[in-house]
Amino acid sequence: MTQDKVQLAAQRWVDDHGECLYRYALTRVRKPEVAEDMVQETFLAAVRGYEKFGGRSSERSWLCGILKNKIVDHFRKLGRETSFTDMEFFADECSEKFASTGFWNHDEGPKEWKPEPDEVMHRSEFWQTMSDCLSKLPQKVRDVFTMREMDDVPSKEICSILSISDSNLWVMLHRARMALRECLEINWFEQSTGKT
Amino acid sequence: MPEEPYNPSPIGNPSVLARRNWWQTKLVIFIGKHTPKCREMVRILSESMDSPLPLTMRIKKRIHYLICCWCQRYEEHLHYMRKTARCFPEHADESSNVPVSGEAKERWKQALRSER
Repeated sequence: MTQDKVQLAAQRWVDDHGECLYRYALTRVRKPEVAEDMVQETFLAAVRGYEKFGGRSSERSWLCGILKNKIVDHFRKLGRETSFTDMEFFADECSEKFASTGFWNHDEGPKEWKPEPDEVMHRSEFWQTMSDCLSKLPQKVRDVFTMREMDDVPSKEICSILSISDSNLWVMLHRARMALRECLEINWFEQSTGKT
Repeated sequence: MPEEPYNPSPIGNPSVLARRNWWQTKLVIFIGKHTPKCREMVRILSESMDSPLPLTMRIKKRIHYLICCWCQRYEEHLHYMRKTARCFPEHADESSNVPVSGEAKERWKQALRSER
């Protein structure tokens, strides 16, 4: 593809994917000006590396992949400056869910989740609920969780990026998963009969 | 406060093994005593999302699931959240209504033009 055609495509990316990239970046870094810069860097990196895009994935997935790397770089820099250990959160780990014997309280145990993931992905209300639930997590716990589950960064690498120990990472991830699961169950799956 | 009586499977448990008759009750209590309690199991399940469990723990987990459909569901939910979370970035435009300013879009386009 000639340079002119790449330029033309890049102008279209802004209109087609700019909002998606910006909102994802904002979810992650929370500062509009940082998110805007990150999206701009993503588009520029995409133009420079267009030859490597073989069309194996959709344009949006490819651009999101570049943005994820930018976000990880951002946190790598932040990890050197900030303590990412947040052990205060959810200290009792949903203790009301378990009997003193350590088994689930039956009324509080996990419910069946319907519909299947492939189906909910087409519903914008699901993504709004997930975004709301994520926003309820404490900032550092959310950063660790999203890096692991959304950006698919291996846990060893997260420990190195954020300078935290394996055990701290596991505790934070466990608590984040437990809280997010609970929130999704209450706000999406228990309501989903009204949304089908 | 007196400790609750040992009871890993109250009446009405929909798991494969529940206390539906004498031998099931014995089996449920045996499994309950020799596999991790649910509170511990959910922590182990979370760890298993980040590093593989040893074989003995994988076997204990499977046996525990016979008496506890809730822990099995919990593991399914962890995979459900992972599968959907991985797709979140591509659906981020549906997750909120935060607008992108026209100036920002114009700035991006300008930066791309000057990249020639």
